[in-house]
Amino acid sequence: MLKINNLSAAVDDGQKTILNGLSLEIPAGEVHAIMGPNGAGKSTLSYVLTGREGYDVTGGSAAFNGDDLLDMDPEDRAASGLFLSFQYPLEIPGVPTLTFLKTALNAQRKARGEDEMRAPEFLKKSKAIAKELKMSPDMLKRPLNVGFSGGEKKRMEIFQMLMLEPSFIIMDETDSGLDVDALRIVADGVNRLRSPDRGMLVITHYQRLLDYIVPDKVHVLAGGKIAASGDADFAKRLEKEGYDAYAA
Amino acid sequence: MPAHPSESWDLGLCLLSAQDPKSSLGCADILYLMGWNDMSVSITEQLPHRRMEAWKWTDVRGQTSDKLTGLSAAGLPKVTAPDGVALSMGAGQSGDHVMSKIAQSFAPEAVSLYVPKGVKPAGPVEVTEIGRGHSRIALMVDEGAELLLIEHHRADSGAFVNMDVQIHLAKGAKLTRVIVQDDPDTALRVATACVSQQTGSEFNQFTLGFGGALTRLETQIYAEGEGTHALLNGAYLLDGQRHIDMTSHMRLKQPDSIIRQSVKGVVFDKARGVFQGKFHVERPAQKTDAEMRHDALLMSDRAEVRAKPELEIYADDVECAHGNTVGALDDSALFYMRQRGIPLLKAKSLLIEAFLVGVFDDLADEDLRGSLTDKVRGWLEAKL
Ligand SMILES: Nc1ncnc2c1ncn2[C@@H]1O[C@H](COP(=O)(O)OP(=O)(O)O)[C@@H](O)[C@H]1O
Ligand SMILES: [Mg+2]
Repeated sequence: MLKINNLSAAVDDGQKTILNGLSLEIPAGEVHAIMGPNGAGKSTLSYVLTGREGYDVTGGSAAFNGDDLLDMDPEDRAASGLFLSFQYPLEIPGVPTLTFLKTALNAQRKARGEDEMRAPEFLKKSKAIAKELKMSPDMLKRPLNVGFSGGEKKRMEIFQMLMLEPSFIIMDETDSGLDVDALRIVADGVNRLRSPDRGMLVITHYQRLLDYIVPDKVHVLAGGKIAASGDADFAKRLEKEGYDAYAA
Repeated sequence: MPAHPSESWDLGLCLLSAQDPKSSLGCADILYLMGWNDMSVSITEQLPHRRMEAWKWTDVRGQTSDKLTGLSAAGLPKVTAPDGVALSMGAGQSGDHVMSKIAQSFAPEAVSLYVPKGVKPAGPVEVTEIGRGHSRIALMVDEGAELLLIEHHRADSGAFVNMDVQIHLAKGAKLTRVIVQDDPDTALRVATACVSQQTGSEFNQFTLGFGGALTRLETQIYAEGEGTHALLNGAYLLDGQRHIDMTSHMRLKQPDSIIRQSVKGVVFDKARGVFQGKFHVERPAQKTDAEMRHDALLMSDRAEVRAKPELEIYADDVECAHGNTVGALDDSALFYMRQRGIPLLKAKSLLIEAFLVGVFDDLADEDLRGSLTDKVRGWLEAKL
């Protein structure tokens, strides 16, 4: 589903190479985790895949369902099913959460040649998901993320994910800022989306999240590439032993 | 800024004639002002220019050519008034402002509007067809009365428009003034309002401006009484080589007044926005609580914004603040929106609309608020 081949990327106008020949393949139906020390380039990978400005691809390729991902605008990548739960979600002043999300959902549908979702259906769905995530309906009327706590923002990312039902999900440190109860609620939401035709890439610094969202494979990102891979138990070992062995 | 002798503020007297039943035109009056021509003075010589401090960024004289229609003529605005508002022609109030004087010389008669004591008309006074030439409006809202005044400033192409508005708010009177300025880019417009506020009166102004060849929307407030409230919000949205200037000057003379001002602008292409704001707090005006904000977004490298927020404070127990920011749209927010599938241009227009229309949040009339938002949205849809 997602095929990354020998990918290199730089920041600072190409001055600073962060990814250096990274290869990774995630088939549909699988959940992969990426762990690694701070500053390894985990978030950089998520931005390169979603097309953020300032993260320049200097080599290699990334294909999504066979299409050249790196050639597409961010909104087209989103419409083709790619979703990023941000490590630091942005505040969108003045734009109510539901207005934002309805615009996003219907823009994606339009890009895919599908019919718009009507207001009643949209509202019904948003209410049900807010309830599932134990979010107050009040939050949905406020401007997106404005004045939200770190944990509320993370929960709002998952809310958006459940509303948009993307086919490939990248979660960047979704666990940070969440207490154990919130973590469980969020993980339940994510697990509900696991399906044979959906892929996930879970980026985390801590093993804890992987107790709730159990991955099929775990990778270490160090030195700008995948330095080691293993199964779910590998994450536990990594947390104990640290990443020193994989330092660049 | 010329000093403003208080005797010229004896507006009540001038307007009393408007109460004369013979000249009061009653329900849903429509009044067409007759124009008359020329004083054979060189008008351009009298126009303010960039070597005058208050006009340094808005050079009316420099931008005025003889070809502009209405340059030496009275204008023909249309004024509609609801039941309860007396409408007549009169000598009106003479203002001291340089543009007021010019207006008087071409339009000796003003449209006079009077809202009697305690009257709260069901509908607004609307001023339309402010298409060219010099015109004058004098409005008195008497004690405890309330009014909504809506002005649609839309010029003819290639026109010169100068409108002078003199407003007097008596004790406890309340006026909401909504200005929509939507001129062709060939028109030059100056609109000046002088507002005097007596004790406990409330003045709320909401301006939406799209600029023109040159546009200056100026508001001068004289808070003569205690405990007055003024809200002076505005938004401007410019492209091409348009120019708008939102200038305001507020003088507070007595204690306990509150002023809130927020002006926001978004400037595309090679357009230019000007904000000048001044709070002048005299020594007796203790416990004044005043806030001024101007925030602008530049949408191109060649767009320009000039801002001059000023506080001049002689009272020692006051809370006065001002803030001014000029920036660009937040790239991170734009990326976040695109990651959710919102196309770039749609993302920009959502952010810009949200940025601007916040200044209309305090406009009580929901339909009116909606129509201002629609205008902003329509403009953005055509632009982006
Ligand atoms: N926009 C940027 N400009 C400059 N340096 C950046 C930028 N984004 C990330 N970096 C740098 O790239 C490296 C990797 O960062 P990041 O991908 O955030 O790491 P991780 O998510 O693994 O902690 C760090 O050294 C960081 O400082
Ligand atoms: Mg990171």
